[in-house]
Amino acid sequence: MSMFNLTELQNDALIEIFNIGVGHAARSMSEIVNEAVTMSVPSISFLNRAAAAAMLGSEDNQRMCGVSQHYDGAFNTEAILMFPEDKSLEIVRLMVGESVPLKELTEMEQEAMNEIGNIILNSCVGTLANIFEHELSGSLPQYHVGSSEQILTASGGLADALVLMLHIDFILETHQIHGYVAFILDLTALQDLRAQVDRYLAALDGHV
Amino acid sequence: MTSHTTVLVVDDSRVSRLMARKFIQSRQPDWQVEEAATGEQALEVAATLTPAPRLILVDVNMPGMGGLAAAAQLRAAYPGAHISLVTANVQNATRQRAEEIGVGFMEKPITEARLHALIDSLE
Repeated sequence: MSMFNLTELQNDALIEIFNIGVGHAARSMSEIVNEAVTMSVPSISFLNRAAAAAMLGSEDNQRMCGVSQHYDGAFNTEAILMFPEDKSLEIVRLMVGESVPLKELTEMEQEAMNEIGNIILNSCVGTLANIFEHELSGSLPQYHVGSSEQILTASGGLADALVLMLHIDFILETHQIHGYVAFILDLTALQDLRAQVDRYLAALDGHV
Repeated sequence: MTSHTTVLVVDDSRVSRLMARKFIQSRQPDWQVEEAATGEQALEVAATLTPAPRLILVDVNMPGMGGLAAAAQLRAAYPGAHISLVTANVQNATRQRAEEIGVGFMEKPITEARLHALIDSLE
């Protein structure tokens, strides 16, 4: 299976739901870095891991750092936030402010990125859970560094899993930083997600 | 207001603890801020504090017993303390659990404005 099909309405609904989630994540990110942040959700793609990695790596093969968290509940997924590795110290600096010395900042870089991942992923996933009215329980965040392909495969062994790829641009006023959020779902999880979208649409229909 | 106030910040993230400490002390420089990285450690540290903690901030997603179980035990042990979950988990289910165990709920990231508002509400 290389593709996962949604109707146009299901696809629209999913994009809208993720837009709301990402909007919450943008607010959280803005509070972390103390700057205006806009995030966009231009599209959602369902790709296999290799294609997703190629998409992420297509810009200039840069090393990425990623924070992943596994969620169980309404649907099971691995959510991953990725940034270019060379931006992570800058992000952490924005988070903790100028008063922390560089040595200490470097020491806490990984932990700080985990916390940022935790906040952004939970902000996004928590919003989805609230919209679907089903709880999603998250694991502790895990930190990875490597190519986007290594990060996408480090977090799980689902060979046949598809990647629901959200390409999100984080645009900070003075720091142009591109981040990505990916959700890895197996076939069962995709079906569960589609069922949740159908339930959401049915509820909307009932209110029209 | 007592002459000496103790506060406990429970979070497995050192960065979050650092930020919470910074924001608390920018409002109340005289408050004694202690830290714990797990729920188990929080129960131990809280028992050593004199006077008993006035304010306890508890992260939810932590290794070990986790923040919800820790908050419930801290609630029972320190009925006079203001206890608040501090979490990135914005789900309604988590807010409901906070209500059920009688503790507050604060969204992460911790911001100076949120913490100062909470501190001011304790006066």
